[in-house]
Amino acid sequence: MNSRISKRELGFGLAAALFLLAVIPGLNAFTPETSPFHVSDFSINLWGQYLCLSIVAVSIDLLWGYTGLISLGQMLFFSLGGYALGMHLMLKIGKLGQYKNDLPDFMVFLGYPTLPTHWEPFANFWFSAFAVLWVPAVVAAIFGYLAFRSRIRGVYFSILTQALTYAACLLFFRNELTMGGNNGFTDFKTLLGHQLANPATQRGLYIASALALIIVYALCRWLTLTKFGKVQRAVRDSENRVLFSGYAAANYKLFVFVLAAIISGVAGALYVPQAGIINPSQMEPSKSLEAIVWVAVGGRGTLLGPILGAVGVNALKSWATQAIPAYWPILLGGLFVIVVLFAPKGIVGIAEQIGSLFKRQTKHSKEVSRE
Amino acid sequence: MSTRAFLFTAAISVFLFSTRIFATDDAEKTARQALATAILAPEADQAALVEKLAATPHPALGPTLEGWQREQVFVFTDEDGQRIPFLKVEETSTVRLLRVDNGQPLVNKAGSPISFDPSLKAVETYSKLRRAIKSTTDLLALGDESPSVRQNAVLKLGLKQSPATLPVLEARLENEPDQRVKETIWDSIALVNLNSPNPELKVAALQRLGQSASVPAKDAITRIASDSTQTPETLQAAKVALKSIDKHIFWVDFFGTIFRGVSLGSVLLVVALGLAITFGLMGVINMAHGEIMIVGGYATFVVQCVFGTGLAFAPFGISMNIPGFGFDPASAIYQSYFLVALPIAFLSAAAAGFLLEKSVIQFLYRRPLESLLATWGASLVMQQLFRLTFGPANVPVASPAWITGSFSVEGVLMNYNRVFVIVFAGLIVVGTSLLLSKTPLGLLIRAVMQDRTMAACMGVPTRKVNTLTFAFGSGLAGLAGAFLSQIGNIGPSTGQTYIVDAFMVVVLGGVGNLIGTVISALGIGTLDQILQTTLRNPVIGKVLVLVGIILFLQWKPSGIFSTKSRNLEEGN
Amino acid sequence: MTKKSLCTLFVSALAATFAPTLTAADKDTVKVGVLHSLSGTMAISETSLRDVLMFAFDEINAKGGVLGKKIEPVVVDGASNWPLFAEKAKQLLEVDKVAVTFGCWTSVSRKSVLPVFEKDNGLLFYPVQYEGEEESQNVIYTAEAVNQQAIPAVDYLLADGKKKFYLIGTDYVYPQTTNLVLLEYLLSKGIPIENIGGGLRKDAEGKVISAGKYTPFGHTDYQQIVAEIKQFAASGDACVINTINGDSNVPFFKEFAASGLTAADCPVASLSLSEDEFRSLPTKDLVGHLGCWAYFMSIDSKQNDKFKKDFFAWLETSTVPGIEKANRVTCSPMVLSYDGVYLWKAAVEKAGSFDVDKVRKVLQSGTITFEGPNGLNTVEKNNHTKKNVYIGETKADGQFKIVKEFSQVYPQPWLKGTFGSK
Repeated sequence: MNSRISKRELGFGLAAALFLLAVIPGLNAFTPETSPFHVSDFSINLWGQYLCLSIVAVSIDLLWGYTGLISLGQMLFFSLGGYALGMHLMLKIGKLGQYKNDLPDFMVFLGYPTLPTHWEPFANFWFSAFAVLWVPAVVAAIFGYLAFRSRIRGVYFSILTQALTYAACLLFFRNELTMGGNNGFTDFKTLLGHQLANPATQRGLYIASALALIIVYALCRWLTLTKFGKVQRAVRDSENRVLFSGYAAANYKLFVFVLAAIISGVAGALYVPQAGIINPSQMEPSKSLEAIVWVAVGGRGTLLGPILGAVGVNALKSWATQAIPAYWPILLGGLFVIVVLFAPKGIVGIAEQIGSLFKRQTKHSKEVSRE
Repeated sequence: MSTRAFLFTAAISVFLFSTRIFATDDAEKTARQALATAILAPEADQAALVEKLAATPHPALGPTLEGWQREQVFVFTDEDGQRIPFLKVEETSTVRLLRVDNGQPLVNKAGSPISFDPSLKAVETYSKLRRAIKSTTDLLALGDESPSVRQNAVLKLGLKQSPATLPVLEARLENEPDQRVKETIWDSIALVNLNSPNPELKVAALQRLGQSASVPAKDAITRIASDSTQTPETLQAAKVALKSIDKHIFWVDFFGTIFRGVSLGSVLLVVALGLAITFGLMGVINMAHGEIMIVGGYATFVVQCVFGTGLAFAPFGISMNIPGFGFDPASAIYQSYFLVALPIAFLSAAAAGFLLEKSVIQFLYRRPLESLLATWGASLVMQQLFRLTFGPANVPVASPAWITGSFSVEGVLMNYNRVFVIVFAGLIVVGTSLLLSKTPLGLLIRAVMQDRTMAACMGVPTRKVNTLTFAFGSGLAGLAGAFLSQIGNIGPSTGQTYIVDAFMVVVLGGVGNLIGTVISALGIGTLDQILQTTLRNPVIGKVLVLVGIILFLQWKPSGIFSTKSRNLEEGN
Repeated sequence: MTKKSLCTLFVSALAATFAPTLTAADKDTVKVGVLHSLSGTMAISETSLRDVLMFAFDEINAKGGVLGKKIEPVVVDGASNWPLFAEKAKQLLEVDKVAVTFGCWTSVSRKSVLPVFEKDNGLLFYPVQYEGEEESQNVIYTAEAVNQQAIPAVDYLLADGKKKFYLIGTDYVYPQTTNLVLLEYLLSKGIPIENIGGGLRKDAEGKVISAGKYTPFGHTDYQQIVAEIKQFAASGDACVINTINGDSNVPFFKEFAASGLTAADCPVASLSLSEDEFRSLPTKDLVGHLGCWAYFMSIDSKQNDKFKKDFFAWLETSTVPGIEKANRVTCSPMVLSYDGVYLWKAAVEKAGSFDVDKVRKVLQSGTITFEGPNGLNTVEKNNHTKKNVYIGETKADGQFKIVKEFSQVYPQPWLKGTFGSK
């Protein structure tokens, strides 16, 4: 990774940003439906969701690609962000729900007479928007503090993050948590006074997602240029040497972990009004693992890779679950195994790898024979 | 009810005599013929006819009535068009067909026995009829040879709380040789007396039930305790009795919970042991462990089918057929399928592990985190392969008769399959630790576990040891799968259900230490069950256990026991 | 570097997905959506519904289609993934512009697609027993409402002399709501609250608001719960109302049987187990326990015989990829799916149009009926169907013996609070 941004990279970045932010929504808003350049409302909505997933992928890459931490629970933070905004959206349904009652529907049929106290502040949008940031951050900070303090690392850390998301998933499935149980939140009507069913609102959400992705990308890119980024990578490569050099590696890891959680939370909050539902199945361990596949396939440690991976794998999934549903898991699993075995740097690394394939192979075989 | 009164007088007449010597052949003949008539009668009349049978309960009817309930009674139509009901009795190697009306084997006109026609449909039963059959067999059960059957029958009579049952119970009491059954009879008499108009009798009954801490009587006593029309003495006695019953229930729950905790812990132990071995050796958590386990489960299923009628399946749309031996499901040889399945489950899972190690894991020993990811990819592929081979639905595996059922010790219920898993887990742990400590292979495994590089330098073929160990760990997983088929599902995604729990056991137990794994499995199992009982909620208990493990690792980051190492990169 | 080529790749990929999918709409066909999970955890159940729908379409097409147009099914896979259900529903309504959709199994999938159907004014036929408390203008519920399944089951058990009811289910909305309704119903029938087992949930003032024991999806350890049931049933006349979902029934019934409880002592009435699920259960452990559905495969009627014969014959020759051909059965959700297709056909023919508003108006007129394998179905004004309800006892071969029939039960989706508990 270059230590400074080249003009070319800046140019490409700006072009991509412009394309995502202006061209696509413009084609959606200003071309007639019959035009071959028209982007349908359906596609805008779908791509908005893909961009949100890309943001999660970037956050995973920040952890894995740059700091060497594999979190098998990143979708937990995504869901927490989603739930935080979802609570606001639920309260804004008002009397438009099935029961024509101010309470969210699921509370009515579970027999709650009044709104639980912890729900009340979420009627305020800004409180919810803030909760999208701090709820994942607090959970990540507590867990991270405990984990990094006692120097839990490697597979132990991964397994514990998996246990964390599994426990949260079980908890959210419980109807008694007043989070809608298995059904989660759905049937949203308005956001900030705009009808969610309105194509313009969906376009706005798409633009917000694209903007968030660009900001997150820029932030992470900037981080890699700073001294902080260098320490981060040093931790990845040899934590003990970093420790002996007098850096508090645990604090660096904690900061990155919390930052990644916040980024995922934002992604979740943007995803929920576009997907129209949030429920605990998003916290299932397999969902987080799938997100890791995006990063692995796209190429970790490259920032661009995760975005390509998230979009690419999800597009592939959309196609494959339709065309070859019976073979989709084999394809996904096989792809993952092959990428891990033969292309640790994913799509982005493949071109590089092709060049040095010969060299690598001889080195690799040496390594194996040494064992 | 007049029929009931009649019924009991009839019953008394039987019980006043001895238990075994029932009646003459004539009585048997009449009873048998009445039953045959009932079987052939139109469905609407059957229940009434069976209830009438209760008037002359003859022990000879027992097997037929039970067979009827279990759909083992059929109707044979002979050459003349006469319909003859018969009972199908399955013995170890033969099937006997006995006529209901005279108990003789079913023969044709020439006198040679008739073989069973599998296309015949059993004479159907329905709820009302089954209840009628049941109350008849209940009466018969009073004279059964097995004390526990008699005990049950006595209790059921008592729960009716009908004064009409008193003479029967008292008559039974005189002939009863078994002390425990006698106690139950006293309880049942007390139960009936709870409704007595005489307050003294009532108080005595309450005292009796309190002394014996009879759980079935709890509802009846609670009713009395909350009935303000009772005399103060009765209310007081009821309170005392309830207290004593509750105390008994507390202890039953307590020991029951411990037992269930140990049994759940044993399941976890069996599931996690293979993982502990592979993890201990390579520091790699194998995410496909659950799927390898299920290979063992499917192997058990296939063996079961081969012992039965064979198995037809269509992997990837190619129809395949595995022929079966066609053993009778009731025969001993079929029942022993599970014993044959165990080694096969071990071997097939070991083979799957061998393949996985050779194709994926061996390339990633230096990248443990990535092998975790690659094995997850492999687990997805395996799940889908199961789905394509055996279909998306779970496969039904029936438990052999010798591990179904239960026994109780002082009211604490213990299922045979649970006892079996505890013993099974113990054997596996002992076997594994013997293998590790007493065999040359075990020596090599321990050497590689402790210091791979040094072991290699000393000439240990580490790659071979890796493969063998991984195959062995996988084989243990296969045994776990075989066992799981006895208590739960076997299906494409079953492995996922257990995987997080298995990880927790291994991480908590610490690397490379069997004792750690044992303690952590039993600890997690017991804690889970205790929390479930106290919180009356299965989920919160599980969540608390997970949180507890995370907190515990704060205190001991590398588990309960861990191999001490001065290597900073290894020491966690 | 290859950033340039990557960018072009990215852009072309974008362009490819964004390009409008112009499928030449055949004038002689009408597009009909099928929205079920063909992969993931729910595929076990939902694939059968896809099969029976394809069979119904073929059957109708062979007879000339609907209003002279052949049905062209658009099958999409919800993959047991709830956001994906919403996405696929959008695709069906906005891209494929289907006339009607048959689909969904779980409540959460229905809740997830509901806003889409309401926004785009689509029409969904929903075939699986559910918790009620819903009446969307865009959904026709051919499924059993609570009063067409749980209430008849309880009535049967009450008539059978049962006095103690243990409620157990998987923790999701269907069992929760069903048990809530049953709690009110049982109390109104004079069953004292201490005779309702499983646990009670109370609000801040101590008023009981819900009952029942709930386990998470895929729960495997039922030792504790069965021990509790055993104690509960010790005093006799007890029964269990079971709304455990799918897989977890195996460990539950294995534990139940092992602990010595039998159908004669303490019958279990299962509301989520049909013939299709029995294919993967060791039915030996279930003999004598009860089921309650609007259809059983063992119904003895001309329509049912013909349906079974034709469906199995169709399966033999079917070319639907990946379809299971061996050991197939029919069950209530399948038949209610099948009925839905014919009810829709009848409504379209009566309206003379595929237009959703017109079809709905006809459907809600209360005159659309179909004599299906389960007997007569009538769409009522509340978008639910009136139909027969049956109680069956499980037999060793995985079939039900019908022991009671409730004829033509009127659907009541809003049951909660209607019993005026004492």
